[in-house]
Amino acid sequence: MTEQHLPPGLIGARVRRKEDPRLLTGRAQFVDDVALPGMLEAAILRSPHAHARIVSVDVSAALELPGVFAVITGAEVAQACALPQPVIWRLIPDQRMTDLYALAHDKVRYVGQGVAAVAAADRYVAEDALGLIEVEYEQLPAACTLDEALADGAPLLYENWPDNVSCRQTVPKGDVATAFAAADVIVSETITYGRQMGTPLETRGAVVSWDPFTDRLEAWLSTQSPNLARDLLGEVLGLPVERIRVRTPDVGGGFGNKFDFYGEEVVAALLSKRSGRPVKIIEDRLESFVANAHSREQRIEVEVAAKSDGTITGMRGTVYGVLGGQLSTVGIGPCWAATVLMPGPYDIPNVEVTVVGVVTNRSPYGSYRGWGQPKANIAHERIVEKLARELGMAANDVRRKNLIAPDKFPYPSPVFYYDSGRYEECLEAAERAVVDRGWAKRQAEAAKEGRSLGIGYSFHIEISAIGPSRILNQAGLQHSGFDEESVRIDSTGGVIVRSGLSAMGQGIQTALAQVAAQTLGVPLDSVTVLTGDTETNPYTGYGTGGSRGAALGGGALLRASTRLREKVLRVAAELLEASPDDLVISDGRISVAGTGVGGRSVSMRDVGDATYRRLDGKLPLGETPTLEERDVLDPDNTAFSYGTTAVLAEVDRETGRVQVLDYLIAHDCGTVINPMIVDGQLHGGAAQAIGGALFEEIVYGPDGQPLTTTFMDYLIPTASELPAFETVHLTTTADHIPGGFKGMGEAGTIGGASAITAAIDDALRDLGVGVVQLPITPPRLLSMIEAAEAGGTATDVEEQS
Amino acid sequence: MTSLDVTMTVNGRTVTGRVEARRTLADFLRKDCAATGVHLGCEHGVCGACTVVLDGCTARSCCTLAVQADGAEVMTVEGLADGTDLHPLQEAFWARHGLQCGFCTPGILLTMRELLADNPDPSEEEIRESLSGNICRCTGYQFIVEAVKDAAAVLRASSADRG
Amino acid sequence: MKPAPLDYIRATSVAHAVQVLAENDGDGKVLAGGQSLVPLLAMRLSQPTVLVDLGGLGELSYIRDESGHVEIGAMVRARTVEISSLIADAVPLLPVALRHVGHVTIRNRGTVGGSTAHADPAAELPAVLRALDADVVVTGPSGSRTIGAADFFQGFLTTALAPDEIVTALRVPKSAPGTRVAVQEFARRHGDFAIVAVFAAVELGASGEIAAARIAVAGADQVPVRAAAAEELLAGQDPSPAVLRAAAAEVAGATRPFDDIHGTADYRKKITAVLARRCLEQALPTAERSSAA
Repeated sequence: MTEQHLPPGLIGARVRRKEDPRLLTGRAQFVDDVALPGMLEAAILRSPHAHARIVSVDVSAALELPGVFAVITGAEVAQACALPQPVIWRLIPDQRMTDLYALAHDKVRYVGQGVAAVAAADRYVAEDALGLIEVEYEQLPAACTLDEALADGAPLLYENWPDNVSCRQTVPKGDVATAFAAADVIVSETITYGRQMGTPLETRGAVVSWDPFTDRLEAWLSTQSPNLARDLLGEVLGLPVERIRVRTPDVGGGFGNKFDFYGEEVVAALLSKRSGRPVKIIEDRLESFVANAHSREQRIEVEVAAKSDGTITGMRGTVYGVLGGQLSTVGIGPCWAATVLMPGPYDIPNVEVTVVGVVTNRSPYGSYRGWGQPKANIAHERIVEKLARELGMAANDVRRKNLIAPDKFPYPSPVFYYDSGRYEECLEAAERAVVDRGWAKRQAEAAKEGRSLGIGYSFHIEISAIGPSRILNQAGLQHSGFDEESVRIDSTGGVIVRSGLSAMGQGIQTALAQVAAQTLGVPLDSVTVLTGDTETNPYTGYGTGGSRGAALGGGALLRASTRLREKVLRVAAELLEASPDDLVISDGRISVAGTGVGGRSVSMRDVGDATYRRLDGKLPLGETPTLEERDVLDPDNTAFSYGTTAVLAEVDRETGRVQVLDYLIAHDCGTVINPMIVDGQLHGGAAQAIGGALFEEIVYGPDGQPLTTTFMDYLIPTASELPAFETVHLTTTADHIPGGFKGMGEAGTIGGASAITAAIDDALRDLGVGVVQLPITPPRLLSMIEAAEAGGTATDVEEQS
Repeated sequence: MTSLDVTMTVNGRTVTGRVEARRTLADFLRKDCAATGVHLGCEHGVCGACTVVLDGCTARSCCTLAVQADGAEVMTVEGLADGTDLHPLQEAFWARHGLQCGFCTPGILLTMRELLADNPDPSEEEIRESLSGNICRCTGYQFIVEAVKDAAAVLRASSADRG
Repeated sequence: MKPAPLDYIRATSVAHAVQVLAENDGDGKVLAGGQSLVPLLAMRLSQPTVLVDLGGLGELSYIRDESGHVEIGAMVRARTVEISSLIADAVPLLPVALRHVGHVTIRNRGTVGGSTAHADPAAELPAVLRALDADVVVTGPSGSRTIGAADFFQGFLTTALAPDEIVTALRVPKSAPGTRVAVQEFARRHGDFAIVAVFAAVELGASGEIAAARIAVAGADQVPVRAAAAEELLAGQDPSPAVLRAAAAEVAGATRPFDDIHGTADYRKKITAVLARRCLEQALPTAERSSAA
């Protein structure tokens, strides 16, 4: 396999982030820090019922409260909008769409659905006014769980549908029936993945100012996808997009939750139009637990056919996505991804996977870092572990037997072409690191003290660099997937990069600055990266999600900067009376190669001056003034990163508590721009994976009431619950991406739960426990342990709550 | 509903204001004192993003009413650097990649400052325990822990110089 | 999440605070550290007409060494108790237990009076007061009275306080010299409210036998639970594994736990026995245990 080689330099360097000084000193500007003259603050009245018909809404008392400027109801929103809330992922042509508006007007279909909104002098008064709005509901029987929604005679969320199934699609590859008929062994499993969410520490927010005289809209959104949001605001509000400006201030974490387009953005706009004032809506934490995208909740049935030597010949699977009461921006997307990626890194010739999307009286299912892939991963990794137990083999030997070999790339999976990888080498790198860290010895020594330690592995792949626009469109995406970047050198030699990506903590400004600085040969300090304004910055398709920012933005910027460098050399050549081919650039100086220190050279400032200000006799004839290039990268394919996760965990058999003691990721994301940032992304993703495996669950009561609406109940792990993380890196470049970059922003979230469950099984191997429900809370694990000790079925978990 | 006059010192400056009794200290600092480094992550005392120093000890400004802080001395993250010299914790967080989105960072910096004042040479476990009242959703905490260790060493060295 | 409109009065004396409460006829609420109350206000789960802030009452901010007991003023911060050398010597269980209360930042503000009056059954301080037979001093319009912890905690967030009374002090009996203490708390995350926590203070006799034990449990009932049967079982016994196991079972037997999203009643009962055993093991020195075993 060919590899792209970049000269050593800033690409690959552990440089400090350019974003940090502002963030460290309180000088950042998050959306709640935006304050405009005359700005109002809004609050939304939310449904207390899981399923009810709205009989009447009386806002008259709220309107009379001093300090209230505008009130809007669901019926008024529907009237004011050109279109209902959009669904951009339309992967299944005959999918039933929910087509609801930003606020409910006929029925409410989940607790927390918006019904009316108030704009007032401040948030205190807005909340006072919510208490004065009278809504009469007629409560309806609810379908709060997957089983309730699929039951015969279930209450219908959408009365014009025959049932609660929004969509069903089967994706085949090869001949799965023959594979299963000819199998030496068949193993199957049903896995329940709990409802979880991204919970960025900054909740979502919007500040929108609608000029009622010109119909121009200025919006500040805490969003990962400013261009998408602008286009969708235009569609929903019926405005031409050139009148809409979306600014993205500092974003306090996104994790997919802020990729989606929510009703609050629309409500803020309409309240602004109505009041003639800028309107701010900041979701509070309680609201975030019902109004922000939920995710992960699926029931997954998976089975594989295999030969007795461990070779997997066929896979069948069905994913039931628990979608909630209306489709989110990404529709069936994450559940579909979980389904079509279920074979994962394994070379399985015959596959048949089915996705079923089911609406329930719960909050909508949307984006969360990983986007289906943690569930695909738990399906293939749990079934590999089970197959290994069935065959009496080591799980990693079954993995080795089936991992896609390096010479099989590009590898056709049921839907995607995996571009490149050295999967087995990655697995072995992790195995070696585990030996080096002495886990087996720790496990044996603990056993002597009566403690139960386990070692677990998982292998994951991650789709990144999303993605070829036309192919995404053919698949059903109502948006593009390219990225555009621009780079300019100013009259004093300083570099400005403009990007349509959002800076949300992932260090994109630093990563892009490293790419530009290395390519142009300038110091990192001379590069400024500007993000967060659709009016002045380039267009990025999709948004800052799908692990695409650094790969596609970096690739586009590399190409633009390369062309800009050529122009710099042509101008410098004129100044130095030399040939461009003889020039080198280093640290912002352009000199004739081989002349050494003190030789003839000009600075980037000289070149800037010759290009912008004092051109005569300096700028070569035929060159246009200014130094600016742009590039659009619409890649030929996505790029697949991959990794092995290894976990050492301890199980307390008396309480069911699991403590992760050590954590290791061997990882390959092609050319690394900044290893420190990559490690930080892996750590943070792994922390979310641990949360999802052991702690985090959005729990509903039998009446559809959410029971986890505070940080006291939705348990994000703290520093005391998390281990130290170790990373090992391989580099297999993506040859179709300039620079060879692959994305990796979601990597840590994908394989963590699988490795943790494997470690738990290993710690309890004498009991034959196999974890198939996540999160595996202490009560759940204790009941599995007790059932196994009593000789019952170890996988029967008593459902609580 | 009562409105009251309050006076307090915020990052060394005396501020006075008339506030509703129900106004939280966090809102007063953010909106009335322009201390927008005070962040609201949960408004119920769990995440720690709103942590400030109130009369010398850390406090959750979301769990404190502005009127309770009448007469108090308050420090926010805006008061941490010495002029344009970053505090050793700020330097260490920068060098060690101890932050990503930065939303939790102000509260963590002030909490760690208090830890290092009480315990200049904390173990990793002590750092983690002290950090456990502040939720970071981005980093997985490891680089924060390393940054705190580095900053502790710098602070110990500088106090040894002074001593 | 912003509090509903309310009035605010900064009390100038205990008598003033009581008078305001009496005038508001049950619609007033006492503000001490605010660590539990202010979030409840922000969620509008509590909407008092008036808050009476005790923050200015220096007279309630003291720790006094009395004969036989320590008196702690209601406005003393949890953190102050935690690091007090007087408390560490006289009531060693208290600082060990308070280290489990939230985080330092919470303990910097939270007061002992506030935690006592709030009466969260999962909280540490009420359980310790119960284990040590502390008295709660309360003051109302007709003066002060003293209520034993056993009578003070009446139910979930419910106490013997009248609407116009405030907690002014805690009187905590001193532990015998050499008392061994331990806390075993099971929470999902560090600093969270306990799912179950067990608190023990054990006095050993001259030959290593258990002279007396005091055990209380948080999180396993509507009120903090005193494990009297377990204490009786332990008294006079050598701390053998069998004895500790039997006592732990008695501790669990004394509880009447409830279901919530973090654990069923059944789960709470099971781990109460586990934590009680571990707590006693931790309180008792290894050497004596093994020699007794």
